[in-house]
Amino acid sequence: MSAEAAVRMRSPWLPMVLAWLVPGLGHFILGRRKTGIAFGAIVTLTFLAGISFQGRLYSVEAGQPLTILATFAVYGSGILNLAARALSDNPGGAILSTTYEYGCAYLLTAGLMNLLLVLDAWDLATGKKR
Amino acid sequence: MIAILPVDHFLIMTLYALLVSAFFALLWREERRERWKLFGTLIGSLVLGGLAVAWLMYPFPK
Repeated sequence: MSAEAAVRMRSPWLPMVLAWLVPGLGHFILGRRKTGIAFGAIVTLTFLAGISFQGRLYSVEAGQPLTILATFAVYGSGILNLAARALSDNPGGAILSTTYEYGCAYLLTAGLMNLLLVLDAWDLATGKKR
Repeated sequence: MIAILPVDHFLIMTLYALLVSAFFALLWREERRERWKLFGTLIGSLVLGGLAVAWLMYPFPK
């Protein structure tokens, strides 16, 4: 199926939701299969590296307004974030670890990259980007 | 997985630069040649920029 045909057949909301849920899946179902797989691999590797570096899966904390932005960013990773929270013993990360700050940066970056993919999937699905 | 990932600061920064550069090269360019060109520009800028900032911060360790 060509990219244009895929765009015509689907609601723009479906690829957008799928793009958020599984990194790269939005591009994949829009006909950009190789790119979708590459995006999925990049976002997943970034997220897993962040977990391995013992970064923090942010949650909103009272009196800490920046945690709202950080939580929004981390939740951008879709199912990766949800699975990591469900499986992790310590979603707050290991603040004493030498790689903690790197882990946080990787996790935030993975979420923000996936949110960019969600917007890109929307543009592709609505024909704003070809 | 921790064992196979680097704990060296430079390598962690380089891995980050690699992933981010690959992502934006795929997102912002459509043609293969243009993608490689942007990838090279981004990774070079990120790694060399990081080294430059580290060098500038060297007199201020704390």
